[in-house]
Amino acid sequence: MTRIACLLAVPEAASSALLAVALAHSPRVEDGGGGRVYLDASGLEGLFGDEPRLAARLREAARAAGVESRVGVAESRIAALAAARLGSGETVVEPGGDAAYLASAPLSLLDLPEETATRLTRWGIRTLGGLAALPTAGLFERLGGTGVRLQRLARGEDPRPLGSCRPLPLFEESASCEWGLETLEPVVVQLRELAGRVCARLGAAGLAADGFEWICRLGDGRVHEGALTPAVPITGADALGGLLGLALEARPPGGVVVALTFRARPVRAEPAQESLTDRSRPAPRQLAAVLNRLVALVGADAIGAPALLDSHRSDAIALAAYHPHPGPLASRERETSRAPAPLWGEGGVRGEGPVLALRRLRPPAPASVTLASGRPVAVRSSRLTGRIVAGVGPWRASGEWWSPRRWLQDEWDVELADGTLCRLAHDGSTWHLEGIYD
Amino acid sequence: MGIPIESSPPPGWEREGIDSLLGLFPPGRLSEIVGPRSSGASSLLLALVARITTSGGGQVAFVDGMDALDPASAAATGADLSALLWVRCGGRLRVALHAADLLVRCPGFALVVLDLDELGPVPASAHLRLQRAVEGSDTILMVRSARHREGTPASLVLATRRLAPRWMGLRPLTRLAGLRSEVSIFRSRPSVIRPGNGEGSRWTLDWTL
Repeated sequence: MTRIACLLAVPEAASSALLAVALAHSPRVEDGGGGRVYLDASGLEGLFGDEPRLAARLREAARAAGVESRVGVAESRIAALAAARLGSGETVVEPGGDAAYLASAPLSLLDLPEETATRLTRWGIRTLGGLAALPTAGLFERLGGTGVRLQRLARGEDPRPLGSCRPLPLFEESASCEWGLETLEPVVVQLRELAGRVCARLGAAGLAADGFEWICRLGDGRVHEGALTPAVPITGADALGGLLGLALEARPPGGVVVALTFRARPVRAEPAQESLTDRSRPAPRQLAAVLNRLVALVGADAIGAPALLDSHRSDAIALAAYHPHPGPLASRERETSRAPAPLWGEGGVRGEGPVLALRRLRPPAPASVTLASGRPVAVRSSRLTGRIVAGVGPWRASGEWWSPRRWLQDEWDVELADGTLCRLAHDGSTWHLEGIYD
Repeated sequence: MGIPIESSPPPGWEREGIDSLLGLFPPGRLSEIVGPRSSGASSLLLALVARITTSGGGQVAFVDGMDALDPASAAATGADLSALLWVRCGGRLRVALHAADLLVRCPGFALVVLDLDELGPVPASAHLRLQRAVEGSDTILMVRSARHREGTPASLVLATRRLAPRWMGLRPLTRLAGLRSEVSIFRSRPSVIRPGNGEGSRWTLDWTL
């Protein structure tokens, strides 16, 4: 008989500390996500005492790690979760009592899809006990296999074994320099050597790294810290060596280095199948090197994939990380959720025909505008000067009136005497030349 | 304020026309789009970016010399912004040339754009270096500048010319509807377009706003 303990963070939010607590108590741990960790509580009596004691110990260890939690122990994951969520703090469901304990639990415990939850609510089902009591054949006819699976969960029957979650080992190497390194070149050599050792360990473990950090202890007691985030996870020491050299040149330690520590953030590099019909993409290693050179050239805030922010403010854009390589579906979804929401969606086309582009002036050029009857008739700026022969406006835009960053501006599309089409903006006090249609 | 230039609805555009135009740019070569302000050169460039990023997921590197790219215009054109690497050079010519040189040498980009507009003058040696770098690759190298400089090794030079803006409504005008411009082949090498087979061709395009 398997006994499962559920360690639930309060409030329910992902916490790596809980995972560490669970791993310190049981060899079989599953990360349920969202602040839930399940661990195999079978056979731990000899180490930690009976189940109530184990539950109290888990809760105390989590509190010591800075996380408030609740603990439930039962035979199935769902019953352990119910005990943790609905119990008083440390709740143990007696063996064989999962179904009875779950009978009064609300349906929301199952994390149902909205459509299924709505259907069950319409049938008058509010609790897991109600779902468990439905005729299985009828449930299958209406909800298919999903319905049967949900009913088994509601009865406390969860045949799925606990998943395994192992902590990734620490990939770190250190070296002390007896004589102190005064110039940049030996620091780079030493750091490359440490990076080579770390990469060898990564390779042996079948891992890659998506972040590197180094700490240089200086002779005067100061500490210099550096970090490098490659565009794609890498494991090759050659590619990493070049990037380290560039990063240190861009930001040298600034003193005599007496000790060095280099560490890598390991990730499991998920293999992704490239499409046979798509165009080729830049090779990850080459792209990582080029991107780092470009960052050194233009700065990290001047390179990336453009993204439109959900705002009507003029030129509301951001730079997102550029990832040309499709990852596994889950990681792609994660990236999408982090990126600013596109205004029209990817690949969205506003009109049927080719679109007239605006060339932005960044920052917008201050302009002196002559008005006649409230309409601009001439413009003078550092970029453009001329008589206005046609124009439309004002197009008024405003936003964020509820915050200190409120804004308001009137826009005009005008044609100058030389044929130039441009956009003028007036924010209530000053005129600006925002861009040129081209 | 002047008289409206045109108040009729925007005329339709010929997709075949712009498609044939965008298909001209040869991979492994340096091409140029030249044209003054408001001639449709940037619109043509973004149409090419949209075509590359949406047909088979090609990746585009956009070296923006003047920091003038409007991502909203690019998205409206249909470009997949996630397939676009935007390098903002803040008006620094040497930085833009260096960035383009790095990107052209990184295989895998279907298109590398060097948007210089009025930034310059560009040394002839820089053009030559870029041309050498792109030779033998599958990358289209596109330079957009305000005017053509003699002596560049570009295999294809397209020139854009403003014809007329299009306004909606009678007096008073109600909206800027777009721009009509003309694209012509200013120069091409025989290996790109055979003599008598397109050279001297002109395309009239209606860009809508």
